[in-house]
Amino acid sequence: MTAQSLAATAAQPAADTPDAEAGVMSRSGLLRRLARDRVAAVASLVMAIIILSAVFAPWISPYDPYEIDLARVMMPPDAINWLGTDNTGRDILSRLIYGTRNTLMMGLVGVLFGGFLGGVMGILAAFYRRLDGWIMRIVDILLAFPAILIGLAVAAIAGAGITAVVIALVVATIPDVARVARGAAIGVMEQEFIEAGRALGVSDFTLIWRYLTLNCISTIFVFLTLRFGQIILIGSALSFLGMGAQPPTAELGMMASQGRDFLFMAPHIATIPSLAIFVIVLTANLLGDAIRDVLDPRLQQ
Amino acid sequence: MGRQIVHRIMISFPALLGVLFLCFLLLQVVPADPAMIIAGPDASAATVAAIRLELGLDRPIPVQFIEYIGRVLQGDLGRSIISNKAVSEELAHTIGPTVELMIGGLLIAIPLGITLGTLAAVRRGSLVDRAIMAISVAGVSMPIFFIGLVLIQYVGFKWDLLPFTGRTGPIWAGGLPSLILPCLTLGSVLIGPIARLTRTAVLEVLGADFVRTARAKGLRETTVIVGHALRNAMIPVVTLIGLQAAYLLGGAVVTETMFSWPGVGRLAVGAIISSDFPTAQGAIMILALAFLSINLIVDVLYVYLDPRMQRG
Repeated sequence: MTAQSLAATAAQPAADTPDAEAGVMSRSGLLRRLARDRVAAVASLVMAIIILSAVFAPWISPYDPYEIDLARVMMPPDAINWLGTDNTGRDILSRLIYGTRNTLMMGLVGVLFGGFLGGVMGILAAFYRRLDGWIMRIVDILLAFPAILIGLAVAAIAGAGITAVVIALVVATIPDVARVARGAAIGVMEQEFIEAGRALGVSDFTLIWRYLTLNCISTIFVFLTLRFGQIILIGSALSFLGMGAQPPTAELGMMASQGRDFLFMAPHIATIPSLAIFVIVLTANLLGDAIRDVLDPRLQQ
Repeated sequence: MGRQIVHRIMISFPALLGVLFLCFLLLQVVPADPAMIIAGPDASAATVAAIRLELGLDRPIPVQFIEYIGRVLQGDLGRSIISNKAVSEELAHTIGPTVELMIGGLLIAIPLGITLGTLAAVRRGSLVDRAIMAISVAGVSMPIFFIGLVLIQYVGFKWDLLPFTGRTGPIWAGGLPSLILPCLTLGSVLIGPIARLTRTAVLEVLGADFVRTARAKGLRETTVIVGHALRNAMIPVVTLIGLQAAYLLGGAVVTETMFSWPGVGRLAVGAIISSDFPTAQGAIMILALAFLSINLIVDVLYVYLDPRMQRG
């Protein structure tokens, strides 16, 4: 009881972050309904903690994540460094907090940009049937590239870095979102109010935005929350391969990759960031499932 | 049926062109001028110009692209900047180990995933179902390198049970031990999704009329599940396993890098990090082609498995 009401209040900032979706949230009383499901309530709480610590990283990190201390190298977790130190004596807890911040940003930018571009493509394909074949052909070509390959190709062309990974995540998000958006938009296009709008002489722009997009947006939003965990996984895998953030930047996948060299001497350096990625993705997946169940049960297959 | 397969092959051509163009692009944006690299640091401007002419680098980009496709069709993917070996030769050595790893991973994941998924569907709502689904969600959320790190640290290093770096040879020449940990790592990320998809498919079939008929006939429950339900649920499962090809490929790249497995993925990653553009281009092309072919095979298999697909 108390845990649930706590989750309901704590989840507030988590859900409020993407401003654009605020309308969707309030309209359906999402938070209240999420709080009723125990798994969803816990997931909301954990996600809130993760996001808050990422946002307030500079204030809550006990140490500077980039400060090297050669006197305390590869220390296991103790009272001074709660999660131990890495191979150059940097505080792992602080790097974890900053790393979560960078990893989340990477995934969020990827999903939002990819969702926007994919959504526009899908809706335009549904509205202008002349464009449909062309847009869907582009989508088919994009689908021929698994996300990891896109990441490798972008990193090879533009050089490894966070930008390369973000581009890969955007490109990887576009085709699936475009398909979902097109499917939803075609359903809406069959509704009578579209015809009514046309008969009234409403402009194409208004039809697309107010009649079509606003009716598809919750489906697209639900799909993006479902994808978010996978996008984080892909991004951290690319970082792990050395295609993403470069040292000394704190990023979870790269931290795990660097810790690999010291796996036998100090396993916690690689294990802790990997575990953090697992918790973030698990939370995102559980929350995505719960949001889907509440907002758009039709997507459940 | 033949017409559908031809149609399916036709629509993969634009994707194929896309793959080739991306790989061509990769060679175009190379920061260094290939002619300068070949000519060496002390070469005169005239020599560089001559080599550029010889390589066809002065021609317009579309012409160069067509020439590039011609070369690829002849199996000429250029030479590695680092080892100076033909890229096609380097690739030939790495394809085998990658295929080995993928098949091994699937051999672990498919039977386990289907068994767990069926079990969860049959015992729907029970503790078993919830436990299996929890494992499945956890599996979907697990970064593949986490599983690899744990296996390397414990099974490989602490308990010293299995080798965890490189490939000792083909399976028939004592290479099996070195194959086990990479395959387990790759297979483990696929179990979750396969179990989840199987559960959904079996649940759908269990509600069908023919299952009720089979039960009404007095068939044993095992016969109903395995002979009737699972058999019909296989159609969606095959397609959905095909959809996991992206997981399989991405997982293979990470797994190969972790276990120093001499496959295409590791070749690609190494080439990108050392700016060996011809090799990177070749390796990425092979991986993309593999992905296209897997999807094509799965689609064809789907048409073959489900007679309803053959109409229309």
